[in-house]
Amino acid sequence: MNTLRGIDVHNKARMDEETTDMALFVRTSKEDLLDWKRQRIVDALVKETLIDIDTAEEISKEVEIQIIDYQIKVVTAPLIRELVDAKLIERGLEQARKMHTRLGVPLYDVDQLILNPNKENANVPHGPEATNLTLAEMIKKEYALLNVFSQEIGDAHMHGDIHIHDLGFIDRPYCSGQSLEYIKRFGLNLPNSLSIAKPAKHPEVLLAHMVKFAAALQSNFAGAIGWDAVNLFFAPYLVGLRDEEVRQLAQMLVFEFSQQAVARGGQAIFTDINLYWEIPKHFEDVPAIGPGGTYTGKPYGYYLEEAQRFVWFLFDVFKEGDGVGRPFFFPKPLVHITEKFFQTEGHEAFLNHICDIASEKGNTYFVFDRGDTAKISECCRLSFKLEDSDLEDAKEPWKMRYTALQNITLNLPRMGYLAKGDDTKLYSNISDFMEMAVQAHLQKKAFIEKLLSLKEKGPLALLTMDKDGSPYLRMHRATYLIGMLGLNELVKIHTGEELDHSETALKFGLKIIAHMKLLVDKFTKKHGMRFVLEQTPAESTAYRFAKLDLRYHSPESGHIVKGDISKVEVYYTNSTYLPVSSRMNPIERVRKEGLFHPLIEAGALTHIWLGEARPSKESLANLVTKTFKRTLNDQIAFSPEFTTCSSCGKTARGLMEKCRYCGSGEVEGITRITGYFTKTSSWNKGKIGELHERFRNQGFFKDGESDIINIRQKSH
Amino acid sequence: MLNEIKGFWETSFVDWPGKIASVIFLPLCNFRCPYCHNYGLVLNPEKYETISMDHILNRLDEFRGWIDGICITGGEPTLHPSLPELVCTFKAKGLLIKLDTNGTNPGIMKKLLRNRLIDYVSMDVKGPLDKTRYSRCAGVPVNLESIKESILLLKGGTLPYEFRTTIVPSLLNEVDIMELARQLAGAKKLTLQNFNPSDPLDARLKGVAPYNDEDLKRLQDKVSEILQDASEEVNEEGV
Repeated sequence: MNTLRGIDVHNKARMDEETTDMALFVRTSKEDLLDWKRQRIVDALVKETLIDIDTAEEISKEVEIQIIDYQIKVVTAPLIRELVDAKLIERGLEQARKMHTRLGVPLYDVDQLILNPNKENANVPHGPEATNLTLAEMIKKEYALLNVFSQEIGDAHMHGDIHIHDLGFIDRPYCSGQSLEYIKRFGLNLPNSLSIAKPAKHPEVLLAHMVKFAAALQSNFAGAIGWDAVNLFFAPYLVGLRDEEVRQLAQMLVFEFSQQAVARGGQAIFTDINLYWEIPKHFEDVPAIGPGGTYTGKPYGYYLEEAQRFVWFLFDVFKEGDGVGRPFFFPKPLVHITEKFFQTEGHEAFLNHICDIASEKGNTYFVFDRGDTAKISECCRLSFKLEDSDLEDAKEPWKMRYTALQNITLNLPRMGYLAKGDDTKLYSNISDFMEMAVQAHLQKKAFIEKLLSLKEKGPLALLTMDKDGSPYLRMHRATYLIGMLGLNELVKIHTGEELDHSETALKFGLKIIAHMKLLVDKFTKKHGMRFVLEQTPAESTAYRFAKLDLRYHSPESGHIVKGDISKVEVYYTNSTYLPVSSRMNPIERVRKEGLFHPLIEAGALTHIWLGEARPSKESLANLVTKTFKRTLNDQIAFSPEFTTCSSCGKTARGLMEKCRYCGSGEVEGITRITGYFTKTSSWNKGKIGELHERFRNQGFFKDGESDIINIRQKSH
Repeated sequence: MLNEIKGFWETSFVDWPGKIASVIFLPLCNFRCPYCHNYGLVLNPEKYETISMDHILNRLDEFRGWIDGICITGGEPTLHPSLPELVCTFKAKGLLIKLDTNGTNPGIMKKLLRNRLIDYVSMDVKGPLDKTRYSRCAGVPVNLESIKESILLLKGGTLPYEFRTTIVPSLLNEVDIMELARQLAGAKKLTLQNFNPSDPLDARLKGVAPYNDEDLKRLQDKVSEILQDASEEVNEEGV
């Protein structure tokens, strides 16, 4: 890696191992003024920009004189580049200056970065690997804004009209969902790998392949890696195993994915595992692949018992928690609740079992697939209905590979400020912002296609590998996510009421989202690309938009943003959620938020914050069943809170300032941030603001007097 | 003070296993348990606004089909002579009723049982059934005869019920808890509840360490085992 050091012009000493910008300097053993070659400035200008040689010559001479005149002690490559850029500006060569820009990070920032943790994504621990990731992201972010997106889109992002997620991962698609069948059938034969593995013969080996493949995918995608029907696809490997062996395998799976914090940038792989109690209808008659990648001669419908044993034990593991009883952060178990689920024997006991985990540890996600629609939850929040062509693919499940190429979130409150109460203006703002999101998607798509066109010689070789007649990344099945943030605040700006205040406000909110849905469908037709609305997790965007609106739309925004302005712990309400502080019982929340879900194809979700309360598993099962039968809510999850003590090692329920058992102050809060569990000390300020305001339905006399104190940010 | 409802929690997933229940809080209590965490309701009920029955019935209508039943708690609900009337109002809506009581009023309980007005009873048993220890846990002198009568009433009846004991390490040690379990022999269920030290009635208990999760679980398992063994013995004797 290049460091930002340079050559010593006047003092010849002091030069040892510095690396300099090769475009300007050639490093020799005796670097001194003699090594200064003006020609290098000319060469760089001609190579990188479109200006003529004569101008380049002129500029290089002027810069040379400047350096000598100023008697600068240490000349560095970036300094020379800036001097050259200044000359380009003097001549009005704006385009050339842009092309000649250097991407980099100030020394101070690097110093801060190395010393302090990253707050944008709570899933990044602090360490050298994490620092590498953040540094690389910073440069790629700048690169993306200058070189992948048009100026208009880049500006819209910078101003906070829209948020382009994962700019630091510009050279990868967003997220990926697949089935184990791919590695069961083809083994592990990845481009550029040092060795090739044939299809696994034993369940432990299949697990090892799964983990390796997940890590390989993580380095080719920005976000979540999801796996379809994991317990079912493992089932043919489990025939004849004793319960203890299956239990052991379940434990290995959960621990493997929860301890992958040694992968990319020290980030755990954001892993979703989709699970079923029944055999999903679309897999019933599909020939099963077993050990060695060969067909077992039986359809998957035959493996119900093994699939059920495995999924039961997986939840045993989640219930126990990690070595000291804390909840696992990853993998996230998503259980599909379908019509068939309720017809499958033993579903009551299983539902109580997974509700037990929901209450004790919070891990379980309940995904509702109603009627005949089958869904796959492919990453953190993206789930979609399987269409005819997908059901055709389901007969050869290794073909079921899906991706969302990018995620763009719209700043809904911003549209409200700009509309100033005018309906027509508001709707035209929605169209304008969506048009920008579509443009951003087109630009990213073009860029990714460029990388993919380099095939196995390119950076995305893994995604172009072709084992079954089509590349791993099936671009024609890609989705393009358009998320929304702060519907609640938009409705407040426009109508004066928040979503939970009146039926009128709620209806207005629904109208906005219905309009957005109409627009994405139009864009889908127009561009032949699948645009879908998504409930953005918006871990840091909720904070970023609120901060930017405080800057650009004060004083109005001061009355709108949520949280504590004096501490800048501000945020907007996520997606189409009702305010988190609303003292609304969980049934009402599930019902009202569920009204939006049919309009939002990409995995909508209702969170129920439990706080300290430990609901009865049977009562939760009751709620889950009624939610499936009486609403169109897509997905629910229950989030308890924990305090874990590093002095005595015990974990207690609730967020507390001191350990309940030993009184120590060395405690750490744990709860769900957006779509996953993590330590509250790693949260950004916006989410901390939200955490203070979450309504927890803990009991009538508990509210307002709870112990929620340990959720301030730790100081750094 | 007739049926002054001082609290209405629309949905509880904690109070009635398997059910989604609304909880109705009635004021006043004849006990002063040092660990009580609803003591505002006991000592200064006038601090709380009375919630109108109309409001409650409207909300229950809103969630018809979702809410299975009503849990009536307090304070001590059986102190209110009009309790049966209140229960009837909810029964008429097709809702199930669970009563939380400390068992000091077996008379009203008998009446409710006889008229089939309640579907579940959760009775707090404060400690081993001797005057000294029981009164210490209840914070007032207790007439044990009423308590024992209530226990027999539930054990001898057909209505589903549970006994509950809140355990504070300084009030009940393991020996006390097991003694209580043996005294309740033949009972279907005794649930141990951990005490919450955040804001108890007796400020001296504030911040006192409760049993940890493992101990709680171990004690619960042991208690359940004692009840189970005892009921098997009863069965064998019966044969």
